[in-house]
Amino acid sequence: MNRRKFILGAAGLATASVTGLTSCGSSGGSGSSTGGGGGGDVTLQMVESLTNPARSQVLKKLLGEFEAANPGIKVQLVSPPTEQADQKIQQMLQAGSGADVLEVRDLTVGPFANNGWLYDMTADVQQWAGFGDLTPQAQKYSKHTDGKTYFIPYGFYGLSLFYRTDLIEEAGFSAPPKTWDELLEQAAKIQDPGKNRYGYAFRGGKNGNGNVVAAIEAYVGDSIDRENAFKIKSGQSIFAAPEAQAAVDTYFELFRRASPPSSVAWGYPEMVEGFNNGSTAFLLQDPEVIATVSASKSITKDQWNTAPLLTGPSGKASQPVATAGWGVAKASKNPQAAVKLVEFLSGDASTTFAKENSLVPIQKKAGADAFYTTGPWASYVTMTEQPDTYLTVVQPRGVAWWTEWSTMADSDVQKVLIDKMSTADLLKSWDAYWTKKWNG
Amino acid sequence: MAVLDRAPRGHRPNPGRTPAPVGRSSKRPFTVRRGLGLLGFLAPALVFVAIFTYYPLLKGSQMAFQQWNLFDLRNTPFVGLANFRTLLANPTFYTVLEHSVVWVVGSIVPQLLIGFGLALLLRRHFRFRGVYQALAFFPWAVSGFLIGILFRWMFNGEFGVINDLLRKAGLIDTNIAWLADPTLAMFSVVVANVWYGVTFFTIMILAALQSVPDELIEAGALDGAGKVRTLFFIVIPFIRTTLLLTVLLRVIWVFNFPEIIYGMTGGGPAEQTHIVTSWMINFTSQGDYGLASALGLIVVGVLVLFTSFYLLALRERDAR
Repeated sequence: MNRRKFILGAAGLATASVTGLTSCGSSGGSGSSTGGGGGGDVTLQMVESLTNPARSQVLKKLLGEFEAANPGIKVQLVSPPTEQADQKIQQMLQAGSGADVLEVRDLTVGPFANNGWLYDMTADVQQWAGFGDLTPQAQKYSKHTDGKTYFIPYGFYGLSLFYRTDLIEEAGFSAPPKTWDELLEQAAKIQDPGKNRYGYAFRGGKNGNGNVVAAIEAYVGDSIDRENAFKIKSGQSIFAAPEAQAAVDTYFELFRRASPPSSVAWGYPEMVEGFNNGSTAFLLQDPEVIATVSASKSITKDQWNTAPLLTGPSGKASQPVATAGWGVAKASKNPQAAVKLVEFLSGDASTTFAKENSLVPIQKKAGADAFYTTGPWASYVTMTEQPDTYLTVVQPRGVAWWTEWSTMADSDVQKVLIDKMSTADLLKSWDAYWTKKWNG
Repeated sequence: MAVLDRAPRGHRPNPGRTPAPVGRSSKRPFTVRRGLGLLGFLAPALVFVAIFTYYPLLKGSQMAFQQWNLFDLRNTPFVGLANFRTLLANPTFYTVLEHSVVWVVGSIVPQLLIGFGLALLLRRHFRFRGVYQALAFFPWAVSGFLIGILFRWMFNGEFGVINDLLRKAGLIDTNIAWLADPTLAMFSVVVANVWYGVTFFTIMILAALQSVPDELIEAGALDGAGKVRTLFFIVIPFIRTTLLLTVLLRVIWVFNFPEIIYGMTGGGPAEQTHIVTSWMINFTSQGDYGLASALGLIVVGVLVLFTSFYLLALRERDAR
């Protein structure tokens, strides 16, 4: 072979390889699961979104149990980094390959379902005996606004007040605060910047609007529309309700009198660190923080606890529940096997998953488990037992503009904190935003 | 610059070989077969570049003229210039444009000066110079987002190492809320970017300095030039092209570099540290790829304009 022929041959081979690879990449067609040759084996791809190493280990253990109970079905867990996970899942769904079972969040179910990427599990769920074992809340959140089931929640996130038992005692209080006003009073008394001690771990950064809304929802507890917690029963937005002004004034007073000045920029990590390292006395957070604080080296088990969500003058608090769960990709080649996996993960396995990840469980019987009735989890049981005080409400988190709203609202919260906007203007702006969106 | 002034390898005289006869072209005649062969060589690279560079670029440009929202991908009509009009009607657009200028100038001037100083120091021969060089170049290997997160904790008002050091040095009594005040927050993100970007200038300038012939400097010394005169009248003019091109590259990169800001402040407080490209991330996270793409095209336009003027100004200066 002469040199020229060799070069041409090599170039041709390279081109063929590239085109071959390209066509291999596109020949997957729709669906990602692979059927094994001859044995009837199925391999499912499962993609998680809120990834962390400890959680992935728990999932792998549960998937091992599923595989043992279902010979012939293998599951491959894909765990992209949390920051990019939803984007990766979206790409997989858009391409129609890479995912059979996926983590669907209350924030993503809207776009995913709207684009026709999720398998409708309604018929499967109706035939599934285990559906009746789920809490009413889990059953409710299994249904999308169009009445179809696109995912089954694996647990719930809900706010409770983390507090330092020793610091409130030192400050002369016998019990943790029950209302927003009491929180302000106790936190302000504990605040002592000279000792690097602060009352409240204020969230001024990303998603800081969530706690402002929680305060407003508590203040309008008598008139809130529980199916759309951004509205009061008259149809107006909660931001236009007369009680809203007192709510935001109290809330922002917490920043001025009882929080670290730099908390204008605090997001989730700083708030949790502030409580975890012992420098702040109160923290409003979801239950996954229980596991983090339990592992704290700065504060001992006896120095902290949780209390139910704070109530407003109406004596009520509104619990804005957030959730995520497992769904099936419409492009899956093995939807039945995928549904089987979702049902498995929503059964007893869900309680293990919820315990290991500090989530409010979806199984009715888990409520009687000693794990949930004692220690920091007891406040969640209290809230469940008093549904007329602690109202479970649904925020419109599935709307297309939720992230736009959240970004805009976070910016407004910071404007108030740096004195570039008044609380009255903030309410006016938020009311105008939602009214305009609802009116189309 | 010596490195750039060198003749390309293929045109270097090679005394070991017989030169081609005068008047006879060394090129082989073009044939279809030869053309196909060349195409075969080029094809993998062309396919790669077409798929991973030009397709996204064209697709992004197309999306800038569409209503392209992640929430409803089954309805993506062309909307003409509506996305551009929405952006231009938003006062935040002008604020982030202004911040981008502060971000670029505030970052590049100190990067250039410190990078130049470091390169001068590293040019000298001393023990463990390689170790020092490796240490100086290390930041360039770290991800921008990671740097953002690291500096976010370092500048934390209550738990950050910066306030702790300032307190221990007796320079402050009360903590400074670096990321809570708009001016201080911009200063903080610029400091992080300066730390990161100094390395690039150091690498480029050091490479250029190593091309300055020792004879030139010795000749200057013989003529009585001191260190300062040698620097300003011999070294800097010699490496001028590298300096100017490095500044141009850095302007483009820093303008397009939102990672540190996104990791450190998320553009806050109240959008006071957003630059154009970090603001763009907001639109993508909102699923509005139409607006994000339109903003992307505007950025391309701004940078093309800047580059054209910059290069034109250089050419005119050279012509004089």
